[in-house]
Amino acid sequence: MRGPDLRRLYDEHAQALYAFLLNLTRDEADTRDLLQDIFIKLARDPELLDGVRDERAFLIRLAHNAAIDLTRRRSTRDKTRDRFAAEIISPFASAGDPDEQTFRAALAGALAELPPEQRAVVHLKLWEGLTFEEIAHTLDIPANTAASRYRYGLDKLREQLRPIYEEL
Amino acid sequence: MKPDNFEQKLQRQPLRQIPGEWREEILVAADVNRRNRPVREFTFAATTFRRLLSTLNHQLSTLLWPHPKAWAGLAAIWILIFAVDFSLRDKTPVMAEKSAPPSPEVIVELRQQQRMLAELIGPRDEHDADRSKSFVPQPRSERAEIVAV
Repeated sequence: MRGPDLRRLYDEHAQALYAFLLNLTRDEADTRDLLQDIFIKLARDPELLDGVRDERAFLIRLAHNAAIDLTRRRSTRDKTRDRFAAEIISPFASAGDPDEQTFRAALAGALAELPPEQRAVVHLKLWEGLTFEEIAHTLDIPANTAASRYRYGLDKLREQLRPIYEEL
Repeated sequence: MKPDNFEQKLQRQPLRQIPGEWREEILVAADVNRRNRPVREFTFAATTFRRLLSTLNHQLSTLLWPHPKAWAGLAAIWILIFAVDFSLRDKTPVMAEKSAPPSPEVIVELRQQQRMLAELIGPRDEHDADRSKSFVPQPRSERAEIVAV
């Protein structure tokens, strides 16, 4: 069997997976490792994508599970390193405008404070443009849970970013 | 539910771009793993076969070690027997195929001989059969009396 076209999969989905993983791990090296693991898994098991209708959703679920596994494996010391890394690694591109840059840095910090399950839902809703039903299907959770996680997460972001947001 | 201004503001934040050099690195790593799979399977099969041969060799060595020349000689004799047997078996059908069918005179002669043989044997068979029917064994006690007289 020939297996999936990994180059096409990479070109179509790697950017989205990268942003999602970076938002969850806050570590570029971990993101790279997890992304590579996903593609190695696809290469080793060509039947993995057989019958999959939504490749993006399937790959995001793989990425989410991999990131959650990594988070669980980590020790307390690693979590401390994560908090430190969150100050440096932002899932957002750099901005030329200083005000915008300040906002993005604050947003990255606020996102890092969210629990991973809320962060995943917020990311998929805001930057992947998925509906709650699609998020529920992707993360294998009820749609109501996805909606409530988003609402809680967004409220926390709003609360933390209010001073900067009102200034802009 | 329409997103409010705050959500729209968040949605507009551009995400960091994936480093370009990762593409080749990740795809090469994936390709290497794809290619390694059949090689690993082949290696596993080869290793298993080699282990099986090694075990067989060890067992045979243990069995034949006390008199290896005697066992080798015995094996050679068996091989010779099989070879001779096969060579003889091969010739028989060839000879049958090569021999010409008997002429009608020969067949008539053979039938005549068979008839004569049947006539000669026939009466003897009947006599034997009669004799076997007329034989009645005597009781042992009577035989003993005859010997005493």
